[in-house]
Amino acid sequence: MPRLKAITTGSVPSFLDVVLNIDEGDESSSLASQDTWLAQMKAKGTGKLVMYGDDTWLKLFPGTFDRADGTTSFFVAVNSFACMAGVGIVLTPHMVPKQREMDGIVSQIYKAIETQDHLKSTLFVLCGDHGMNDAGNHGASSPGETSPALLFISPKLKSLQKNQDSPLPDAEDFQFYSTVEQSDLAPTLAALLGFPIPKNNLGVLIPDFLSIWPKKADQAYLLHQNARQIQTVISAASGTKTFDGALPAESCASPTSDYEQLACEWQGPSNTLMSARVGDDMDSQWALPVVTVMPNLPTQHSDLHLIQLTIFQWLRKAQELMSGMASNYDMSRLILGQVTALLAVIFSLSATIKTVSPTRSLTPLLVISIAYSVMMFASSYVEEEQHFWYLATSTWFGYLTLRGFKRTNTTFPAHLLLTAFPVLASLRLLRAWNQTGQKHAGTPDIVKLFIEPHPHFLWLLVGLTYFWTHRQLVYSFHGRIPVPINYPVMTGLVLAAFTFKAAFTLEDAPELVVEFVKSSLLDFTRGASLIARARAVFVGLGLVAMAAMGFILWEMGTGGRKRSPRKVPAEAITTLQHLYTILALTQSRTANIPLFLIFNLLYWFLSSEIDAPDGQRLSTVELGISSLLLQYASFFAMGGSNAISSVDLSNAYNGVSNFNVILVGVLTYVGNWAGPVWWAFGTVVLLGKIWRRDQRQKRLGSGNNGKRGSEEKEERAEAKQMLEGGQISPFKIYVAVTTLFTAVSVAAVMAACTILRTHLFVWTVFSPKYLYCVAWSLGQHLVVNVGLSGLLFWLGSL
Amino acid sequence: MPLVDPVTMSSSAIVKGAVAQSTSTTKSTPGSQATESSTTTAGSSSSLATLRPVQIKQTPAAQTIRYALPAALTALYLFRFDALVTNPVPVMLNALPVVAAFQMTYALLCLPAAGEPASKSNRKPRPGERKKGGDIGSSTIITALLASVLTSIVTPFLYFAMVLFGAPFLTHGSHTFLCAAHLALLTLFPLFYVHGVDSAAWAAVGGFRAPLDETFGGLVGGLVGAWLGAVPIPLDWDREWQRWPVTILCGAYGGYLLGRVLGGTLFWGKRF
Repeated sequence: MPRLKAITTGSVPSFLDVVLNIDEGDESSSLASQDTWLAQMKAKGTGKLVMYGDDTWLKLFPGTFDRADGTTSFFVAVNSFACMAGVGIVLTPHMVPKQREMDGIVSQIYKAIETQDHLKSTLFVLCGDHGMNDAGNHGASSPGETSPALLFISPKLKSLQKNQDSPLPDAEDFQFYSTVEQSDLAPTLAALLGFPIPKNNLGVLIPDFLSIWPKKADQAYLLHQNARQIQTVISAASGTKTFDGALPAESCASPTSDYEQLACEWQGPSNTLMSARVGDDMDSQWALPVVTVMPNLPTQHSDLHLIQLTIFQWLRKAQELMSGMASNYDMSRLILGQVTALLAVIFSLSATIKTVSPTRSLTPLLVISIAYSVMMFASSYVEEEQHFWYLATSTWFGYLTLRGFKRTNTTFPAHLLLTAFPVLASLRLLRAWNQTGQKHAGTPDIVKLFIEPHPHFLWLLVGLTYFWTHRQLVYSFHGRIPVPINYPVMTGLVLAAFTFKAAFTLEDAPELVVEFVKSSLLDFTRGASLIARARAVFVGLGLVAMAAMGFILWEMGTGGRKRSPRKVPAEAITTLQHLYTILALTQSRTANIPLFLIFNLLYWFLSSEIDAPDGQRLSTVELGISSLLLQYASFFAMGGSNAISSVDLSNAYNGVSNFNVILVGVLTYVGNWAGPVWWAFGTVVLLGKIWRRDQRQKRLGSGNNGKRGSEEKEERAEAKQMLEGGQISPFKIYVAVTTLFTAVSVAAVMAACTILRTHLFVWTVFSPKYLYCVAWSLGQHLVVNVGLSGLLFWLGSL
Repeated sequence: MPLVDPVTMSSSAIVKGAVAQSTSTTKSTPGSQATESSTTTAGSSSSLATLRPVQIKQTPAAQTIRYALPAALTALYLFRFDALVTNPVPVMLNALPVVAAFQMTYALLCLPAAGEPASKSNRKPRPGERKKGGDIGSSTIITALLASVLTSIVTPFLYFAMVLFGAPFLTHGSHTFLCAAHLALLTLFPLFYVHGVDSAAWAAVGGFRAPLDETFGGLVGGLVGAWLGAVPIPLDWDREWQRWPVTILCGAYGGYLLGRVLGGTLFWGKRF
């Protein structure tokens, strides 16, 4: 998507737009509000915008196209062909037929342009937004990935008299003919199709095209437009008025900043161009203020040529400055931030050591934190972070199950088969579900191999997940509301969520929807729009959640859960947990929904480890570590990565008709962090379980209920130890554990970004990681793990 | 110190350990053992704690081979490394019998065999004891063959364990399987040779409560090494040796040899 942004707006993608901060509402999720050549074309109003192809464009430009068919993969095919044309060589044998096919399509289109009269002024642009990589956006590492092709095709371009040779010999660095910046496409299209250049453009009109305009003055005008527009961007970015008036000569003699130097140099082209504007050679409709100001001057071709060169030089310089402007680092602030982060590490470490006893139990957490910190300095490990979490999670759960073996009375093979195997196999499935990261992006995973080719299987699993959630939801409300109300309400809610998902998938990926789902589920709710469906789910969830909160507070008012556990089997807090599950399912990609079944299995294992009878059970620290590992592992398992391009926006607009920063932000967050938030909820419920267990033990410890022998002694000793330990609530320990990791990881990521700020991959690997780190530490840690979980734990412990 | 119950004691390693200790200079002397074992009634749990570190035979041949074989294995690995990188499957397959021969020699010459009657005690075979009861145990070669059979039986399970820890499942099947075979041959074969199928000893090994010696040290080293072998794979260095399963095998060999040598010398008898 950042590349599409470069192509359409002409700006340098991803980070600079944040820096420039030219008044635009939403800078990340949609380009509809930005000034792009699509917007300019639409504004020109001389035709209709039609889009066929990759529906990414439809998501990026909602409401821009007059007519669109976003389902076919034509554009995708064109796109990949364009890349191949750029590569110019056949990298893999199976690409050859595809290249031939695309050649055929191109020739078909070109022939149509040549022969059909209504197509005669067609400009056919063939380009790739990124290079030859299965992954799509790779971090600018190899020339093949950063050198996509750009081809302008039109019979009218014959007038350029280029006569280029083809095919060219193979080039290692994929540089053929001439090279332009990706952002140069926007001003070039603007010039060729005759509309204003997008506001934030930093591209430079491709020089080869200038000779299409026979009049030299027209060429000069186009360049001047381009320069004028970039100058506006620079003024806005630098926040100075350097371009407005004439600069004093002395400040130009020794410019204090790059901007000033650029401004001084701007006076050169500006003056020469203005002086060169000759009235008799001008179209009156192009009249610029300068024309009236400037007297008529003789025009010579050499002059104009010189002017063009000067302007081009200036434009390139400006482009370079603006693309590199973010490398003016304010080191004192970076160091201040780093010191703050280190202080946070020290404080959280001392607090954690105070909270957790024995301190020895923190060893795994420290190992994880330190290994993670070291990893943040290597770009490959940042790109392939999921491997760290997968391996750590498998090892940790391998340890937990192996430890369980010591305890259980079952024989070794039985334990292996019944506990260790299901747990480790679940983690293995989790790992293979979505191939993420950069190195092997696009290689087969479970979704590609088994889910997408077998939609029936997918819907079986999805149905099972919804059914299971329904069962748990009903169970959690059992005894709280009467069965005749409980069943219909919960069934209605789950069905609404399920039909929304089915309807959404029908729009999003119709090939995944099987006939059964279409006919039986969607037909009886036919006619409802996606927005209405989503709103129904959200409102339903909100109402039931409010009821659940009401029950919790009411039960607190009546002095806790007085009714027998047989009548009210589940803790009130679990109602909220299962309601969140429905929200998470709603905000997840359909192919990811079965993952929640796996989560449930792992959750069940952790829960049973807490129930373990003797001293071998899961401690709070261990639960915290498990939760941390599963939060990260589930994020990557659901397709997340440290690349900006992997942010999933497909569910960001569920039930939202107008863009709203907060709503879309929350929906995007839940859409991408559905798994981690699910685990935060699950952990709170498990923490509540530990807390109640400890409370029970405390009661046992204080009252003598006639247990005999070592068992009683042991429990009493444990309870006594707990009393002496100052009654630290398990939630505090959990927060200590997660805070320590968060502090260490933030400090490490900051240090890595600071130290490696001149690294080749700083914008493509480390900076996106930093943004993700912000999301993990502010969103997942502060808001979810501390705020939301704290609230839930408080509600649960009332 | 809880001591050997002559009835429940099933592992010859325990006996061998006791015997070995008479020659080595460790904490307890055989004399004190004898008196203690006659006075102490060891429970079922204490039999675990009494698993003794395996002592390498004191013969000159054993003492030479114990250091010569790791060096030979290292040399073999380094010699075949380039071939391994280009052609992992045939190289691993061809190396398997060589490594098996090395391990067999090592076991026969250096290690005390499972079920080998202890020189001092004439113990009755346990009723539950399988395979190594009676006169079979007297032959070390048969023990070694049985150990290799057990190793090959365990290899598929090791393969599955590797898959569970992230090895490719649908591709590279023979790569992973051969890697598992090498790992089993290195780490598990000596343990099978020494402990047989003694569940108490294996429980101690599986629970990482066994004392460090060449066999257990090799197991820990090999597993940790193979685990760490996964670390360089994600790096974008685009080297041939980053291909599956070269780094895993490399880590397994390196870890095994290191663990075996350190377990046999520096950390001998220590526990986790």
